[in-house]
Amino acid sequence: MAVETRIDAELPQGVGRLSTGWKVFILAALAVLGFGVFAYWYESSNGMSVTSLRSTGTMGGATWGLYVVMVEYFIGVSLAGVVIASVSRVFRIVELRPIVRIAELLTVASLMVGLLAVIIDLGQPIRGIKNMLLYARPQSAFFGTLTLVAGGVFMTALAYLFLGGRRDAARLAGIPSRLQWFHRLWASGYTDSVEERERHRRVMFWLSVGIVPLIVVALSTEGLVFGVQVGRPGWFGSLQGPDFLVLAAASGLANLVVLSAIVRRSLGDWNRLDADVFKWLGRFLLVASAAALYFMVVELFTLLYATPSNERQLADSLLKGPYAWIFWLSIGLMILGLMLLISQAATAKWRIGTLVVASVAISTAALAERYLTVIPSQTHASLLPYETGSYFPTWVEFAVVAGLFALGALLIGLFMKAFPIIPIRDDIIPTPDEEVEATANA
Amino acid sequence: MTKYSMAVDLDRCQGCRACMTACKIENNTVQSNFWMYVFRFEEGAFPETEMSFLPRPCQHCDNAPCAKVCPVGARFKREDGIVLTDADRCIGCRYCELACPYGVNYYNWQKPEKGQYDVVDWHDENIQTATGGAIPPYRNPDLDGLYGEEQRRTAGGGHAKGIIEKCTFCVHRVEKGQLPSCVDTCPTDALVFGDIDDAESPISLYLRGRSSWQLLEEAGTKPNVYYIGGKPPNKELKEIERPKVTV
Repeated sequence: MAVETRIDAELPQGVGRLSTGWKVFILAALAVLGFGVFAYWYESSNGMSVTSLRSTGTMGGATWGLYVVMVEYFIGVSLAGVVIASVSRVFRIVELRPIVRIAELLTVASLMVGLLAVIIDLGQPIRGIKNMLLYARPQSAFFGTLTLVAGGVFMTALAYLFLGGRRDAARLAGIPSRLQWFHRLWASGYTDSVEERERHRRVMFWLSVGIVPLIVVALSTEGLVFGVQVGRPGWFGSLQGPDFLVLAAASGLANLVVLSAIVRRSLGDWNRLDADVFKWLGRFLLVASAAALYFMVVELFTLLYATPSNERQLADSLLKGPYAWIFWLSIGLMILGLMLLISQAATAKWRIGTLVVASVAISTAALAERYLTVIPSQTHASLLPYETGSYFPTWVEFAVVAGLFALGALLIGLFMKAFPIIPIRDDIIPTPDEEVEATANA
Repeated sequence: MTKYSMAVDLDRCQGCRACMTACKIENNTVQSNFWMYVFRFEEGAFPETEMSFLPRPCQHCDNAPCAKVCPVGARFKREDGIVLTDADRCIGCRYCELACPYGVNYYNWQKPEKGQYDVVDWHDENIQTATGGAIPPYRNPDLDGLYGEEQRRTAGGGHAKGIIEKCTFCVHRVEKGQLPSCVDTCPTDALVFGDIDDAESPISLYLRGRSSWQLLEEAGTKPNVYYIGGKPPNKELKEIERPKVTV
């Protein structure tokens, strides 16, 4: 069987070729990352007093601020990637295959950045890593973040990305290029023989089946970090875990849509992301954001019925107090995103541009919702009659968070130049097996 | 078994805040950190107003939520009931601060030499002589020891940047058989301290026959500070003034 190849021409999807646009993007990301590193150095040198964070109670501050908001947001985003990849494999949804690696990469990148945000928020970061290894207590909900999420989900997601990419790595390993060593390393002896392929398929299937409950449990502990706090009105409740998951699904899918749209645009002729892919993502996003809005409305109704108590004070701060603009912005953006999705679903016409607008709105709403989960309960919901507090991040916090976003973008950008972000089509580069077959036939 | 507890007689407390000052002097806490804090409330509308006071040390809870959430066991409860922070183990995640419904935890937001009260020149020769050379004050060696059967260093000695601290019931004094500084200083004897498991201890004798209540009992924390007289605070109470919060 003769197979058309582009081996001599170039590696697929622009891998190994550094375009001007890519260089500008990387330089911009490095500049923002550098500024974030400077801000963190400034904070480390002077103490966290250069942030807006302050103790609760007599200081009237929020001791967890933007960093923890970003931890919740980034770790939430990681959910959708791995779930989409798993669903695609387990239910054999062929239309989603092209974005499987983008989804896995989004999970790995957002987890890396999210876990880095955890470390950044610690007063003693080095000791934090050391003592979590030496003295970790499973009784603490925080334990879930640094073990289930860091050790379990992150490592599994890495394994998922690695195993899922081995076939392509084996193909690229046979092509002479500057990155051949990297592709050989990734392939790590895999030759894509029929037996290997079957074994790989089975492993990936069971990994896909296993990783979903793992990430659901792990991410539920993120919600429980707040949900088990009886002393903090607005936090204590059994819905924190499910609420976290639903919002995580919505924000993760929204980010996956945006990333896929960027990849689609940047790949040019190599693009394989057609409208079908976005139609599937749009449907999933519609369901997830509808569920997220449902949770937000349920929360709103509960707040409206709050009796004159600490909950009432919290409700007032959200509905008409200092956080009202964020609260109504998040509701408004979520409704806007949902309306855009419903209109597309109703007409069965999915426009990528409109889907991206809806995704940006939903992702921003999710970020705002995370902010409202973390901050107001600290400044406006004390059980003792302390004065109400306030919190608004300083330039240091914004710079560090911008640096985290830049790091995430940098990771994805670098990956795209080292490895095909969309699984290679069989007709582009033959598998080693097919090559052997083709040679034999010739 | 020993179980240290404190009684606060609100009928005796006159809101002078001498206990707050004593705590600060004893523990060299920085500005805006109040391990012992006294609420001064006003109730009603002028001229029908009423003042009340509520001293708020750490409640050293039996079911301490701060210890439950600590991811590395830095916050722990000793056999004698005192809840402490291991200064060498705390990672500065501040989860304990959020778990505590009483607001007794204070994070060191900056280096300890910053935010100290500059009412005196700590490098003055006379001051150095008077303090036994314990300069700067946040390195008070008396606070820097290893305490209890656990032999763990308690957050409070050194006031290191990036860790949590709180009221220790003056563990360094208690282990020498002395009273916590706030109790020792109170001019109206509104604060009583001792082993509540000992029927003949001052606190047991004081509580005997008196009705007492605990702060935020409904939170299930089982606090070890007992209030006599007065009434539990509610959201209708307004603080008369706000403490200095600048860090």
